Amino acid sequence: MNAARTQAKGEMRDAGGLAIPGVGGLWRLLRPIRGRLIIACVIGTIGAAASIVPFIAVAQLAQVLLASGAGATAAVWQWGWIAVGALLLRLLCVFVAGGITHFADTRFQLIVRRRMAARLGKVPLGWFTARTSGTVKKSVSDDVLHMHHLVAHTALEIVDGVVVPVVTLAYLFSINGAMSLFVMLPLLVGIGLYGAQLAKVRPRMADYSTAMGEISGTAVEFVQGIGVVKTFGQTGRAYRRFLDATARFMDLMSGVMRSTLRSAALAEVVLAPLTSLVVITAAGAVLSGAGWIPPVDVIPFVLLGLGVTAPLMALFFSATATTQAAEASERVLALLATDTLPESDAPRVPADATIALERVRFSYDGQYAALDGIDLRLEPGTTTALVGRSGSGKTTIAKLIPRFWDPDSGRITLGGVDLRDIASSELHRHVTFVFQDVQLLSTSVTENIRLAKPTATSAEVEAAARAAQIHDRILELPRGYDSVVGDDALFSGGEAQRISIARAFLADPPILVLDEATAFADPESEALIQDALSALAIGRTLLVIAHRLSTIQGADQIAVVDRGCIAERGTHDELLARAGTYATLWANHERSRSWHPEIRPSAESARKVNR
Amino acid sequence: MIRRMLRVMGDDAPTLRLLIALTVVGAVLQGVAFALLVPLIQALLEGDFSRLWLWIALEATILVVFSVLNYRTKMLGLSSSASLTLHLWQRLGDHIAKLPLGWFDAEKVGSVSRLASVGVFSVSGFPTQMLGMLINAFVTPAVVVALMFVFQWQLALVAAITAPLLWAAYQIAGAIVAAVDRRTHGANVRTANRLIEFAQTQPVLRAFGRTAQGHKLLDDALVAQRKADNTLIAWGGVVGDGIFRLTVQAAFTAILLTGIALTAGTTIGPVQLIALLILATRFVQPLMEGAAAGGAMRTVRNNLDRMDTVFGTSPLPEPMSAVSLGEPSVEFEDVRFGYDDREVLHDVSFTAAPRTMTALVGPSGSGKTTITRLVARFWDIGSGAVRIAGEDVRSMPVEHLMGQLSFVFQEVYLFSGTIRDNILMARSDATEDQLREAIRLARVDEITSRLPHGLDTPVGEGGSALSGGERQRVSIARAILKDAPIVLLDEATAALDAENEALVQDALNALTANRTLIVVAHRLQTIAAADQILFLEHGKIVERGAHDELIDVQGRYADFWRERSRARGWRLGTRG
Repeated sequence: MNAARTQAKGEMRDAGGLAIPGVGGLWRLLRPIRGRLIIACVIGTIGAAASIVPFIAVAQLAQVLLASGAGATAAVWQWGWIAVGALLLRLLCVFVAGGITHFADTRFQLIVRRRMAARLGKVPLGWFTARTSGTVKKSVSDDVLHMHHLVAHTALEIVDGVVVPVVTLAYLFSINGAMSLFVMLPLLVGIGLYGAQLAKVRPRMADYSTAMGEISGTAVEFVQGIGVVKTFGQTGRAYRRFLDATARFMDLMSGVMRSTLRSAALAEVVLAPLTSLVVITAAGAVLSGAGWIPPVDVIPFVLLGLGVTAPLMALFFSATATTQAAEASERVLALLATDTLPESDAPRVPADATIALERVRFSYDGQYAALDGIDLRLEPGTTTALVGRSGSGKTTIAKLIPRFWDPDSGRITLGGVDLRDIASSELHRHVTFVFQDVQLLSTSVTENIRLAKPTATSAEVEAAARAAQIHDRILELPRGYDSVVGDDALFSGGEAQRISIARAFLADPPILVLDEATAFADPESEALIQDALSALAIGRTLLVIAHRLSTIQGADQIAVVDRGCIAERGTHDELLARAGTYATLWANHERSRSWHPEIRPSAESARKVNR
Repeated sequence: MIRRMLRVMGDDAPTLRLLIALTVVGAVLQGVAFALLVPLIQALLEGDFSRLWLWIALEATILVVFSVLNYRTKMLGLSSSASLTLHLWQRLGDHIAKLPLGWFDAEKVGSVSRLASVGVFSVSGFPTQMLGMLINAFVTPAVVVALMFVFQWQLALVAAITAPLLWAAYQIAGAIVAAVDRRTHGANVRTANRLIEFAQTQPVLRAFGRTAQGHKLLDDALVAQRKADNTLIAWGGVVGDGIFRLTVQAAFTAILLTGIALTAGTTIGPVQLIALLILATRFVQPLMEGAAAGGAMRTVRNNLDRMDTVFGTSPLPEPMSAVSLGEPSVEFEDVRFGYDDREVLHDVSFTAAPRTMTALVGPSGSGKTTITRLVARFWDIGSGAVRIAGEDVRSMPVEHLMGQLSFVFQEVYLFSGTIRDNILMARSDATEDQLREAIRLARVDEITSRLPHGLDTPVGEGGSALSGGERQRVSIARAILKDAPIVLLDEATAALDAENEALVQDALNALTANRTLIVVAHRLQTIAAADQILFLEHGKIVERGAHDELIDVQGRYADFWRERSRARGWRLGTRG
């Protein structure tokens, strides 16, 4: 399906010509503001036509003056005021049309950003794992912003670029066809030259993006790794990679540029108003000298012929911004088309708090199986511990239960109902987790705890904070519970951890998924976190991702996860007796409990490396 | 702005100056050519063809000169923009490479890479794309007005009077846009931060069913952003831009109406008026084009500002001459240090004797990590002295200082390349035997034996193909091969799984043997084994000594020890 989409995109790019891919998608995206854009274009057309009127008025004024001298004061003033009126009308149209598109753009940005946020709230969590938060920010904030030019400017620029030359030429042709052809001469040559330039550049655009990406990539590596390169006195090395990337880019660019340099410079010369000036006056002199045209009829050509290229130049100048905007809109559309986790149409209610995994298989990338047939049953009120080396799949098991992802095959049931058939709100009432990376929002402490239950009263929030051993610390803050996280509430890792435990207390779910690493995230407040977790665990169905084996010695069930399968299961004593993987892990654990760095030469000295 | 441009351009400034000079000459020529329209049109309307052709010939001559000049300018601009871009990259890179390590925080990674790509182009494209338009917009009308005085002083005076008004309008419009821009910037930053938060806290938001619709904080930020943008449009677009355009049109209107009035009073002949009005349109049009380019100008200016800030950050001063060093001790003498104006270390003094272990202990935020970073001269201190092997770190060349130190921090960065490349980075002339030994001691052999390409396996960007513990061991192998006498260690191996933990510990043993070790210690057994414990609180050393001595004092350290010991035997279960 993805391949099909990519291909379709490619076709649209070819069909769309210049660089406005997926015009259909963009048109749909613009639906909420389409009406406004059309009105703006109509007003823009009036404005574009009005912009020519003052020139026509001055030309008419010249006619009147030459025909009847300064005597025809009334007619002269009349044309004068028409010019002034047209100027004002033009100004008004520019502002009204620009105002409409700009205000429509902010509305559009809000609508699109809301849609994107709603979409992101439903995509599988893996989508976020594969990207940085910076990418999300870039898409929702920057890409939508970069569409600004397309929404607020491009249409009006095109209107100007078309209406001004067309109306101008129509007027001029009505006066004299031969002279009009001379006006068009520089215009046509200029367009031809620009067109040739674009035709040469366009096929290289893909190489250009690749080389550009390489520069960003090496710059990131350069800056991120600078600590390392400096320590090893190798600053030049990473830096050279960056410079190499820039040099490669330049090679590519200068090739493209050399081939277009001449035509670009020539186009500029040909489209300069001065060129039109000489062509038009010379033509005027020849034609009026031959008596084919009265001298006064040359005036409109001098007045209007010099300005006819300006809107076109403006279009060329904004071509880059428009191309960028079009590319941004493509990324926005792609994000809005991201697959989401399916929600059931007829949700069912779980019977109890038993969790069962049945032959669950799951892969993050579609190739390597992270879970390869897991069967596991969590009885209400019992503790199950997942043990295994990093990358074995224990965290993946834990994360499938709050439905961060769906299994590829097999199923997970809660109270006998497949998770996919349970409404997400119902699932959240049953399962809560406390993971290692605490996530606090920059809002008040109360709101942070209340995240778990928006309807909770202040008393409930405080009770949860007390149970989580964080109430006293909150009271020490300048504004107590109203202090804002990151502002006047600066929490250490362990304190933040206890806020997240307070959330779990407030949510009060029958099932708790817990990453045990939580407990030693902050050595300074380890004991307090442990007290809080112990209190939280009481009476619930508990699933623990275990790191320190001593912590879960008393678990009802220990599952040793190895390469996506459950290799061993049983109680601590049973597993030790088996002398298998668990017993090895236990021995390692015991040893590392007494380890410390040693500077006296031990049995093996690193010194001999260098001898 | 041109001045800032010249500063950022460095050695390319003369090219830019030449470009500016050529463009100004071009704009003046264009102004003169426009002005000559007045006698030309007069000759045309009066039917004096010999004079007409004379003027046309003169115009054509100017056109030839102008075109050659314009073509040359354009060619110079386009061809020099390539070298300009390349030089800008080099200067940016050279400068960044010299900045103090402390400058490089997480935020910088994104902003520098943006600056290095989009930013450089925006700035280097300025001479070819924007400069000509900008100069034409203001120089040509000025020339036109000056020459108008030759033909008709009254109308010229009207046009000249509008000049200061135009200038004022341009300034006012700019000031309004800048002021509103600053306010919108705040809204932009808040939205960006909420979005990052939204992405980073997805698991929690989902666990509690607070995605999009339920996440009011994000929606509030989006709505506030729209409000701020609307304000920007209303003030910046309508008022700011409007003032300038209105003034330009008022200038034209004034010339037009004055001209008509003067003709009615027969001060000006009809033919002269027509010619002058044509000239007046040439005065107005470039100004309008200049106004339209305002938005693009703002982007260039923002990028210039950012680049200027980077170039304005000075590297740490560094002596060139080598120093001879004694035994590997580390010494802090009355060190005061702060980030910005917030002092985080107050009068810290201690000595780590050669080949001893010093443990830094204390609550988070007490200054432990800062001390290790000051040893490596991430920043320079406010007052006092940091000495290594008896020598002030500020009087040592950076390579020399770094040669004394190995760090093993929690964040390990590997370059995209093979495992071998990454380890050899520490010492490119290492023999195969030395490499093998370092790999064995750091237990990297356990990793390479599992991988199909062994030592030549690529590690991926930032080392992403390896697990945390594996990366840690590769970085330790690197440090072992480097063989520096002082080791700075941030002991946060706790989050690693049991199996990796044991291997990392083996590796660390090989690294620290016979070295001077300063460790940010978390584990009780490490602390207890230290020769010297420095207990820090709020950036001060509040207690110091060996474990037994400090326990006897019954102070802060003893409390800390008791609390930590209690946590050790914790067990988790559902039955209280």
